[in-house]
Amino acid sequence: MPASHASKLIKPEGALVDLNVNPCKMCMPMGTSQAVYGIRACMEILHGSQGCATYIRRHMATHYNEPIDIASSSLTEQGAVYGGKANLFKGIDNLIRLYNPGVIAVCTTCMADTIGEDVPGMLNLWRDEHPESEATLIAVSSPGYAGTQFEGWFRFLHALVSQVEVAKPSNNETSPSSRQRPLVNIITGPTSPADMRWIKSLVGRFDVDAIFLPDISDNLDGARSPKYNRLSTSGTDIADVARMSQAQATIELATFIPDDYSPAAYLHKHHGVPYTRLNLPVGLRDIDAFIAEFARISGDPVPTDLTAARGRYLDAMIDSHKYNAEGRAVVFGEPDFCYAVCRMCVEEGIVPVVVATGSRCPGFAEAIEPMVAELASAFLVDGFDVVDDADFGDIERLAVKRGANIMVGSSDGRRIEAKCGIPLVRCEFPIHDHVGGQRVRTMGYEGSLMLLDTITNSLLQRKTSTFRAAIRDEFYEGPGPTVASPSQMEHSSDAPSSSVPSAVPAARIHPCFEDACPATARIHLPVAPVCNISCNYCVRRFDCPNESRPGVVTKVLSPQEALERYLLARTRVESLDVVGIAGPGDALANWEQVRETLRLIRAVDESVLFCLSTNGLLLPRYADELIELGVTHVTVTMNAVDPIVGAQIYRQVTLDHITYTGEAAAAVLLSNQIAGIKYLTSRGILVKVNCVLIEGVNDRHIDAVAAMAAELGATMANIMPMIPVPGSPFGNRPLVKNSTVRSTRERCEQYLPQMRHCHQCRADAIGKLGEDVRALFDEKPEGAVRHQVAGIAEEDPNRRVVDAPRDGSTASHPQKRVPHVSRVAVASRGGMLVDQHFGHAKAFLIYETDGQEVRYRDRRVLKNYCSGSSDCDEHEQTDEAYKRVLEAIGDCDAVVSLRIGEAPRKMLCASGILPIATCETVEDAVREAHAERLATQGSPPLDASC
Amino acid sequence: MEKEVARESVLDGYAPKTYKKRREHIVTVDSPLETPQEILANVRTLPGMLTHRGCCYAGCKGVVLGPIKDACTIVHGPIGCSFYTWGTRRHKGRSEDESQQNFIPYCFSTDMQEGDIVFGGEKKLRAAISEAVELFHPKLIFICSTCPVGLIGDDINAVAEWTRTEYGIEAVAFACEGYKGVSQSAGHHIANNQLIKRIIGTGDIQPTATHSVNLLGEYNIGGDGWETERLLKRCGIEILAVLTGDGSYERIASSNNADLNLVQCHRSISYIAEMMHVQYGTDWLKVNFVGITSTIKSLREIAIYFDDPALTARVEEVIVDEMASIADEYDYYKERLTGKTAAMYVGGSRSHHYQGLLRDFGVDTVLAGYEFAHRDDYEGREIIPDIKTDADSKNIETLDVAPIDGKYRVRFTKSAYENLKEKIEGLDYYAGLMKEMDKGSVVVDDLNHYETEEFIRLLEPDIFYSGIKDKYVVQKGGTVSRQLHSYDYQGPYAGFKGAINFAHDTLMSLTTPAWKLVVPPWRHESVLEGTVGGDL
Repeated sequence: MPASHASKLIKPEGALVDLNVNPCKMCMPMGTSQAVYGIRACMEILHGSQGCATYIRRHMATHYNEPIDIASSSLTEQGAVYGGKANLFKGIDNLIRLYNPGVIAVCTTCMADTIGEDVPGMLNLWRDEHPESEATLIAVSSPGYAGTQFEGWFRFLHALVSQVEVAKPSNNETSPSSRQRPLVNIITGPTSPADMRWIKSLVGRFDVDAIFLPDISDNLDGARSPKYNRLSTSGTDIADVARMSQAQATIELATFIPDDYSPAAYLHKHHGVPYTRLNLPVGLRDIDAFIAEFARISGDPVPTDLTAARGRYLDAMIDSHKYNAEGRAVVFGEPDFCYAVCRMCVEEGIVPVVVATGSRCPGFAEAIEPMVAELASAFLVDGFDVVDDADFGDIERLAVKRGANIMVGSSDGRRIEAKCGIPLVRCEFPIHDHVGGQRVRTMGYEGSLMLLDTITNSLLQRKTSTFRAAIRDEFYEGPGPTVASPSQMEHSSDAPSSSVPSAVPAARIHPCFEDACPATARIHLPVAPVCNISCNYCVRRFDCPNESRPGVVTKVLSPQEALERYLLARTRVESLDVVGIAGPGDALANWEQVRETLRLIRAVDESVLFCLSTNGLLLPRYADELIELGVTHVTVTMNAVDPIVGAQIYRQVTLDHITYTGEAAAAVLLSNQIAGIKYLTSRGILVKVNCVLIEGVNDRHIDAVAAMAAELGATMANIMPMIPVPGSPFGNRPLVKNSTVRSTRERCEQYLPQMRHCHQCRADAIGKLGEDVRALFDEKPEGAVRHQVAGIAEEDPNRRVVDAPRDGSTASHPQKRVPHVSRVAVASRGGMLVDQHFGHAKAFLIYETDGQEVRYRDRRVLKNYCSGSSDCDEHEQTDEAYKRVLEAIGDCDAVVSLRIGEAPRKMLCASGILPIATCETVEDAVREAHAERLATQGSPPLDASC
Repeated sequence: MEKEVARESVLDGYAPKTYKKRREHIVTVDSPLETPQEILANVRTLPGMLTHRGCCYAGCKGVVLGPIKDACTIVHGPIGCSFYTWGTRRHKGRSEDESQQNFIPYCFSTDMQEGDIVFGGEKKLRAAISEAVELFHPKLIFICSTCPVGLIGDDINAVAEWTRTEYGIEAVAFACEGYKGVSQSAGHHIANNQLIKRIIGTGDIQPTATHSVNLLGEYNIGGDGWETERLLKRCGIEILAVLTGDGSYERIASSNNADLNLVQCHRSISYIAEMMHVQYGTDWLKVNFVGITSTIKSLREIAIYFDDPALTARVEEVIVDEMASIADEYDYYKERLTGKTAAMYVGGSRSHHYQGLLRDFGVDTVLAGYEFAHRDDYEGREIIPDIKTDADSKNIETLDVAPIDGKYRVRFTKSAYENLKEKIEGLDYYAGLMKEMDKGSVVVDDLNHYETEEFIRLLEPDIFYSGIKDKYVVQKGGTVSRQLHSYDYQGPYAGFKGAINFAHDTLMSLTTPAWKLVVPPWRHESVLEGTVGGDL
């Protein structure tokens, strides 16, 4: 495996430069506001328009669940023109009168800085005018366009340290006795209040005199007290800030802070206080370093209970690593947070495949890439991305590209979580959709362990809710609707099995499914390049060897090209009766292309047989659509029915952006194969099971596969010797002896008919089995065929109904029904709600009800009649469309849709079908339709417009 | 405590200058049904007072434009403002079909940096629009500016014009810099103006039902709009467009084809209602679908307006049916809530809407206030001629509109209209909040943190309805609170079923056992002790 290659500090391809899509950052005043809450009796006044204060209060209150009081100078247009001094002074006066804060931070916003307000000058003026005032005023320059909340936090601290008047050392403190307790400044970047409490209690264990800047631990996570204080009662005392210059040392918990506004660098430069910069104490190494620093400064030993907590954390890391090794994490947020969580992930063996901060942060990628690269290389992870100045548009794209299965950051990742199904661990500001943001722990042994457990459990949750449930239901609880995507199958399981019509015509003329090689020819259309599993006998440079022999790489066709090739082939190959999709990847992993291809061909040829071959992973999801498209023969390659055996054959299985490895991979694949085959055979589809015989791996297991295949209702089995492909993990294995193949087939004959005429065709084979005439087609189609193809595309608006009602007789629905039962056609996408416009419905769900019970009967597909305004002018087309609708649902008593146009409403009324527009659930709507029908029977429908 | 005494006690906390200004914002209602007392509203916020008001941008982008789902709204400015309006208002939206775009989950910004402030951001805005068009293919682009944009003089109107020519799609610029006006209200007006100028009247959708309406000032918070739509649909009334909850470009563009405008939130959308009345002849009806009594009244007035026996009959059927469906629960909650008192401080219309709902359940409102209302929202539209236009209001453009040939429809003769107006109070008219308030209750404009605390201490309401910014102050003080901006993630509260949801949530809060472990200080303290600092 080559070493991983990470992208450099440039935005990756396709990223936007000028448009920020879903920001992964906030503005500077947000950071100043948070840090202000770490100072006792301090309040902030944001100098600018009042919306800034309001928005920040709203966001902080949601996260911290505490009152957030931020004043504003409420500048208006007048302020924009004449300056904001008058408003600022009034604001300070009012604030002092109502709240009397000890410290007032005057922080600027975009507006103040844009109009060039000289806040330090104004504050000097104010002080001159109010000599009696005891309030300490701090001027902070924090325009929103000059940085994010991360910078804002430090800008405030820097302003505080540099503007608060330095206290003179008292005699007491210079005396040798008090020197025994060294004075240490601890400056922290953005933390949660709970983490801040941990830092304080930890430092309290050592014999040091500590000043914490800032200390948000109580003010942003307050205890309920009998009396509410509108001014913060805890936090760093301003007198302590004044003492910071006397400290023996400063510890600054920050990684990416520029010296320009680092309080520690300021104290060093101006007061000679030496400082140490440490990473946030997250993850074993950085917590160790933090604790060691205090042991060093105080000279105290590390307390034994801390050693014990460390031991528990380490023990848990070992316990969980096997689950976490599957972790492919997206870490996003403020730069220091990303760095700390990355370090923690890496030491546990979770690969951070995407690390992104919204801040512009020089040195971010350089600091993070080496550690991720090392782990990624060891874990055979192909690539990862470390980006700064990123938005969630970038993060989503990269997360999907890198196959992430867990995200760690703020709740702003929830949209990606919902869209891509990647679980999100919320542990950074802001958390808006969960409670407890103020109590989140990531620091210290317990804090990091809590975070680690949450990550591990999210990974496990994914696993238990997917493959294990399927396996249990399948093997332990017995058969049930256990498929990768159960919703796909709901309709069919509702319907009585006897009424499910067979999708297969009586004549079986598929070349592979016959006992011997018949005269029928087939064409394999290579439209499916992608594969979603990695088999050890396969090299992706070549076609998939389970269906087609490795050779030159097949030229992949687009659906349109596939149609052209088919039409050409039809003119050249006799009895071309079968169209197959056999790769070169997996047919269902390329579903869009496959569907389009089959649709196009069906439009020109109603009789040709469709078959496809697949590994079965996505079979449960697309089985219904396959049947609808008219696929009658499906080949599933099933090499093992035991995950332990399967794990030796499959390296990886990727389902819904989650990559499984080992036995989990095999189990996921197997459970979907089983569910898929079972469903297909229950619907009358002919299923052939292919099985690649690999000596020393599954040769003794093939019998079990055949037995299972038979039990699932497969028609035949095709046991094939593995073709060793150079470069694949099985590339050096010997060829399987013909005698072994023969004897295996003979053994398995007891379960299933065996296919013995297999030629292990290529994915682009054309002709009869064994006579590939593909070479004839390596030229462009002739003009005549081209013309025909163009004609099809143009005729689109009026294309024939793809799927006639399944009982085969197009216009023969009406079965006699009891009069008190209504048959209702419903326009619904998902089958839950009536959520489709009548004219947009491509299919109707047919229900019957007696007013009480609602039963699903059928799904009827039609070409939607309203395909844009340009089509609707033609009366002929409209009439044609109505005819099609009536053909499909003419036997119904009512049609329920979200909305319906005036013309179709009249048309339906005229045909005696009651149109109803509603947005209820399907069941309610069907009952409503039934009631309405009874109410209006014999008289014209209630709706006056009918 | 006597409400007037409470008012004086609260005002006593202020310095003389502040006292003078705030005094006119606080009124103790003395004769509700006659001419209400004058209240000072829609004037500049006093700095440093912990107001809950937002800015012009919040009213324009956040409130009116935000819910239009298929508009790609690009915020031109530094990142913060855009981030803060991203998914925070719970205006729900869903695509009507697969082809319809829904940008509600997105947040687009030009993310201006220091260099853009110095050298101008128009180039970046154009580039951002190009990227948005390339990536998302929107049919409609809104450009909203934040504070610095107006100050550095970026011409967003020119960029909108360029977008229309360059890409052939509609683009509208909203100069809604935060410092304009005195509150969100300025932003509503700016949004209303541009929608009238560029969007409304350009669409082709025609109503299909006999009676069609637009629902104005309904933002579909917690699904309120959907519940209202369900009710109207049951009655056989078609909603052509909603402005703007779950709203879409084409429908809003076609809204002039509807027969009547229903106005839910008077403050934020009355400009459009008025201008459509002039341009298209569309009457508007002040409705209120919050509260059982109000909903019934609104439905009946709609029926009176259309004067169609079939519709009237259907409306009555629906009322009977909906009432029957909630009857048991209604009795249950009413029995338990009767006698409670509430205080309320929300937006610019809701404090009125919810009083009726509370009254339905026997709850009295002792204090009500608005963040950004105008005097007519308190006192009724009849006082509009008396409102003095100040500098801040003048800065917001008032459009001069006239009937549009070919689109203006005459619906009634003058006498028929007058006749109708006698029957329907809310036809092209809004009576305001104060006429419906009890004698002795308190009305406060732009209630701030200090006043909130003081009034709660003095008036001792059982529950305080407001928003996230005051919620925790109230709760820390020991009083139950519920959010009427975001409904604490509950809802819908509109219509009959919504009323039950609301009563359920309220009762749940009041009876949660945890509250018994918390005693508000005023329950065991003399209220006279608590005056705040300052020169008395």
